[in-house]
Amino acid sequence: MTARWRLGLFAGAVLILTAAAGVIAAHMPAFGVPASHYGPAVNAIIPAARHATNMVAAVNFDVRGLDTLGEECILVCAATGAVVLLRGARGESISADAGRVPGRAVLRRTDATVILCRIAVSLTLVYGIYMALHGTITPGGGFQGGVVIASGLMLVYLGDGYALWRRMVPSVAMALLEGGGAFLFVAAAAIPLALGGDALANMLPLGQPKDLFSGGLIMLANDCVALSVTGSFGLLLLEFMEETRSPAEDPVPDEEDP
Amino acid sequence: MSVAPWLVSAWLFAVGLYGIATSRNYVHGIGCLTVCQSSTYVLLLSIGYSWGAGPPIFYDHPSTVPAVDPVVQALVLTDIVVGAAVTALLLVIAIQVHKRRGSLDPDALRPMRSQP
Repeated sequence: MTARWRLGLFAGAVLILTAAAGVIAAHMPAFGVPASHYGPAVNAIIPAARHATNMVAAVNFDVRGLDTLGEECILVCAATGAVVLLRGARGESISADAGRVPGRAVLRRTDATVILCRIAVSLTLVYGIYMALHGTITPGGGFQGGVVIASGLMLVYLGDGYALWRRMVPSVAMALLEGGGAFLFVAAAAIPLALGGDALANMLPLGQPKDLFSGGLIMLANDCVALSVTGSFGLLLLEFMEETRSPAEDPVPDEEDP
Repeated sequence: MSVAPWLVSAWLFAVGLYGIATSRNYVHGIGCLTVCQSSTYVLLLSIGYSWGAGPPIFYDHPSTVPAVDPVVQALVLTDIVVGAAVTALLLVIAIQVHKRRGSLDPDALRPMRSQP
């Protein structure tokens, strides 16, 4: 298919899409008026029933907890698939040396970069952990906190270089976090099931509203997800960085096309 | 006025689709796919919005205060997480394609054509 044909096909698709979007937009529920009873019901019932104040986290980890379990599995599968694809072509061996472009000068980092990154790493990690732990009561949660922690780890690379980053963030630890977090989440769903209740039934003490230890299972599930997301994203960043090394340093078994 | 959010969402989707249709590089195409996906964020958040309502977090105001729909916000969170994971997977596949074929141009990569 040539570019001209493809553009023609796209123009046809846009015509249909425009007509359909116009009709659908005219028939959508009025903007700014609650369209379903589900959300308002959650807002009315859950704060008293679960002692949680962050309704988004309560929906994710309590009301629709099973859906989040599926989402967590999608995340773990996608991260594992990405790692397998990268390692399959590169081999298992990993090295603590960064890739070098031949002929490009290696500049020393300035002291300001190092000190700023070290300060920023500690602040980012603390903020990420705070965000994950307080997911039940204030905006945030396991997914957001995990991503903040994983990106904080990249600052170690920026400030202290590849070798120290690889020593501080071993891929085995990231893999254990990823799998362990997901396993704990599955266990949190399965244990109430084994005790004769429903999956992810909130059987833990609910605590006081607005307290760190409130919401029962919501906080626990949040923290499992935070561990798993930290591991997944840490592992992904690490494997992508391994790609920057030139293939000559690490000969690939010959399975290329002839 | 009240159809504006739906039209913005459709516009974002169309812009992303145009980028995918005319893309000459798979990394660019993956970026366009995330633009398509962000149209779903706009759509979902618009469905959940209500005039005069606050965030669905009852930390400093009681739960009797009107708040927007938390269910669609949780859906957007799911959307973003799965989107990030799928984008990473697609980028990995793009890396593998580039390693094997030395190109990321869809026109240069005809899988069913015999190699010269």
